[in-house]
Amino acid sequence: MKTFSFVVVLTSIMTVTFAQDKYLSVMQKNIELVYKAGTPEEYQFAINALERVGNAEKTKWEPFYYSAFGYLMMATNEKDGAKKDQFLDLSAAALAKAKAINENESEIVGLEGFIQMIRVTVDPATRGPQYSGQAMQLYNKSLSLNADNPRTLGLMAQMQYGIASFFGSSTAEACATAAKSLEKFGTYSSPNPLAPVWGKGMAESMMKQCK
Amino acid sequence: MKTLYTFLMTLVLTGAFAQTRISGKVVDQYGQAIPGANIVILNAYDGTSSAADGSFVFSTEEKGAQVIVASFIGYKPYQQRVELNGNAIELPISLKEEINQMEAVVISAGSFTAGDEKRRTILKAVDIATTAGATADIAGALNTLPGTTKVGETGRLFVRGGDDSEARTFIDGMAVLNSYDVSAPNTPTRNRFSPFMFKGTSFSTGGYSAEYGQALSSALVLNSKDKAEMNQTDIGILSVGGQLAHSQVWDRSSLTGKIDYTNIRPYYNLINQRVDWNKPYASVEGSGAYRQLIGKNGSLKTYGTFSHADFSLFQHDIAEPLSKQLYEMNNNYGYGNATYQQPWNEKWSVRGGASYSYNENALKIDGRPMGEVEKGLHSKVTLENSVSDRLEVRFGGEAMVRNYEASQQNAATLQTQSIAFNETMSAAFAEGEYYLSNKIVTRVGGRMEHNSLTDKVSVDPRVSIAYKPGGEGQFSFAYGRFRQTAKNQYVRVNNDLKSEQAEHFILNYQIITSKRTFRVETYYKNYSHLVKFENDNPMLLSSDGNGYAKGVELFWRDSKTVKNVDYWVSYSFLDTKRNYLNFPYSAMPSYASRHNFSVVYKHFVNAIKSQLGVTYSYGSPRPYYNPNNDQFNKDRTPSYQDLSANISYLPKNWLIIYVSCTNLLARNNVFGYEYSTTPDAEGVYAGRAVMQPAKHFLLAGVFITLSKNKSVNQLPNL
Repeated sequence: MKTFSFVVVLTSIMTVTFAQDKYLSVMQKNIELVYKAGTPEEYQFAINALERVGNAEKTKWEPFYYSAFGYLMMATNEKDGAKKDQFLDLSAAALAKAKAINENESEIVGLEGFIQMIRVTVDPATRGPQYSGQAMQLYNKSLSLNADNPRTLGLMAQMQYGIASFFGSSTAEACATAAKSLEKFGTYSSPNPLAPVWGKGMAESMMKQCK
Repeated sequence: MKTLYTFLMTLVLTGAFAQTRISGKVVDQYGQAIPGANIVILNAYDGTSSAADGSFVFSTEEKGAQVIVASFIGYKPYQQRVELNGNAIELPISLKEEINQMEAVVISAGSFTAGDEKRRTILKAVDIATTAGATADIAGALNTLPGTTKVGETGRLFVRGGDDSEARTFIDGMAVLNSYDVSAPNTPTRNRFSPFMFKGTSFSTGGYSAEYGQALSSALVLNSKDKAEMNQTDIGILSVGGQLAHSQVWDRSSLTGKIDYTNIRPYYNLINQRVDWNKPYASVEGSGAYRQLIGKNGSLKTYGTFSHADFSLFQHDIAEPLSKQLYEMNNNYGYGNATYQQPWNEKWSVRGGASYSYNENALKIDGRPMGEVEKGLHSKVTLENSVSDRLEVRFGGEAMVRNYEASQQNAATLQTQSIAFNETMSAAFAEGEYYLSNKIVTRVGGRMEHNSLTDKVSVDPRVSIAYKPGGEGQFSFAYGRFRQTAKNQYVRVNNDLKSEQAEHFILNYQIITSKRTFRVETYYKNYSHLVKFENDNPMLLSSDGNGYAKGVELFWRDSKTVKNVDYWVSYSFLDTKRNYLNFPYSAMPSYASRHNFSVVYKHFVNAIKSQLGVTYSYGSPRPYYNPNNDQFNKDRTPSYQDLSANISYLPKNWLIIYVSCTNLLARNNVFGYEYSTTPDAEGVYAGRAVMQPAKHFLLAGVFITLSKNKSVNQLPNL
């Protein structure tokens, strides 16, 4: 009886850790796929793999976060405005699934702002005022959840830089945010092994513009 | 320990031996390969993406009864139960096309949709506000679209041979009575509602949905903005007044209040007017909007406005210009509505609401009072059911109760006489929209109305079909019968007048890409039961009038060819005649013109941080009745031409400076002629031209936005 219960406990612990390990290893592989993707086919392949995991793991926000990230990258690579919007819609839909699981994740809220920022690029004249306001609000909310989020700081710096250069005002505030973002890229690390790490290049090129 | 070892071994072994290989090919309904489709075992990690030729293969350690799901954007997911037992499975997968809102054909005959929500729209909400010459007036901007006729002395919408009363305004689906401000005789008015209130506009020049009744020519459907997103205060200082608005936002609700003050007196003192004002126009308006989110997707919107306007002027006799009458107008106007919408589940949703309009015109002519009051209560409920992704059904009912009273003091007895009527219009409507495929859609519906004045029940059919042969272009056809109660001034004389009727036949072709739109539309309209004076007596009315209108319209918009430049060109040809009111025979009405042409140009110049706008409008000569000519409405005015410009300068992101000016060519546009009612000694009727009150209208303003978020300004409001 003792042996039996020991085996039961051990196997159940093992299945849990095994499942957790499997989730981690599969996700690490899939996240790698989405970071390395370049063509729409490669993105779709990575997104498909992420969504398969996301549909099986009902309590994990990461799969749909990265799926949303993949669609967002597809949108930034796309030239045609209508198609860009379509990818942004898909990205927003995937991110909504992630947000339904964890609505107070700074990374999710930051990516939400990124989507709105890319929406502006489709039609800056008509969308600028509305969507850039929403993007800025989401960045602020993302930072209120995690003030050290280097990605959100980097995105916010871009937004501030864009507004400042349009109105010909000082870019000091934008550059300070960019510097802070770059600093956080060096110091901040999330306890979550699957936490996003993208965006350092963006902050670096922002700093170059500032010099 | 041995047990554990055995257990682990079996686990590893079963894993190694129980792998099942699943392969196949994903195709669409025409047998074309779909690459990139996601093939997955439901609730498991295992799966793969299809290759360029649609083929796929993967192995899984899952066992037993499982479900394979294959999905791809734009197609319905495929599901198949399988038994996984190590035997290879071959799955031929055929995905069915999903009706996709972005790509699918839409019914476009007769309608212009503007809004940010749907991306493939012809005009965006902000376009209405930035059109030069329109001075941020909804009707002014819509008058640059095909299907409209410029009638400069009214400032109202005249659509496809219809008069201004035939174009009805709806806010969030609820009717608005008296949607224009009061104005002095023969001077242009403005729409009471600011374009900044709305996120979307649908302007239909015919063939519209069975949901909208009591409109013969046009339905202007305005959708108000949703819950405000941030606290903000807007201040506007204009050359003719000022405005102050504030929005306060909570988690699930928002409240916006606005005060508008317009006083044209200082401006008129500077710029000489043709109107002999005693006291020029001034108005004060307060409005408020409250938004509340309900449940997951439901919302309640309420809006209310109240305004007071007054002016007085001297009207000079045509034959003896030195003889004049004092004309004093006081107007009180109120409008409120509340609408509620809630999706019940995936299939059903409900919308409903009520609106109340109140309009009081108190007029004095040489001190003698006369006036009219109109009140209207409208309520409506609409249910929508998405039966499938191909079939959508919509039905509902509405009631409109109107009360109208006109009064006048008798000059001899000094007693007030009044004349009034009450009308209850109740209606039921139903409509089904069916997609045969992404290429063909049909909409069939009908509207049943009962009118308490005539105690008659009518049924009016509405049918439309649209076909998209491939690519971006599409054809639409629409047919419908529309009816509307005759104008108050005639119904008050004769309560038994039949509803005026119009039948519309519309054929449309349009091609929309993300930055260019081309559209051509032709139509025929048949009017019947129009009000007619018997024996030329305006107190003896019948419903025997009739008429027709037909035309061809072209529209081209391009924001692609030149960077930062957006322009559109509209042309309308109109052929219309009527035999109604005092017309001795069928003739072209005086508000109609055969050719209307507009060019709207907008250019954002980065170097000076300014948006420049120029609008040119042309309207061909209009008929007018000259009693010195035997033939009715045979004389023609000169053509109408206007060149207007505006500039919005954004020196700081919270500040906008705006200047606009109309009629840069300084043309003396003549809209028509008025004649004295009696001939002079030589038997000639004296005439006088109806002209613009001043050559130019100049407007300047400063708009300031105060909010915590520095990236917000009032540009979308300009």
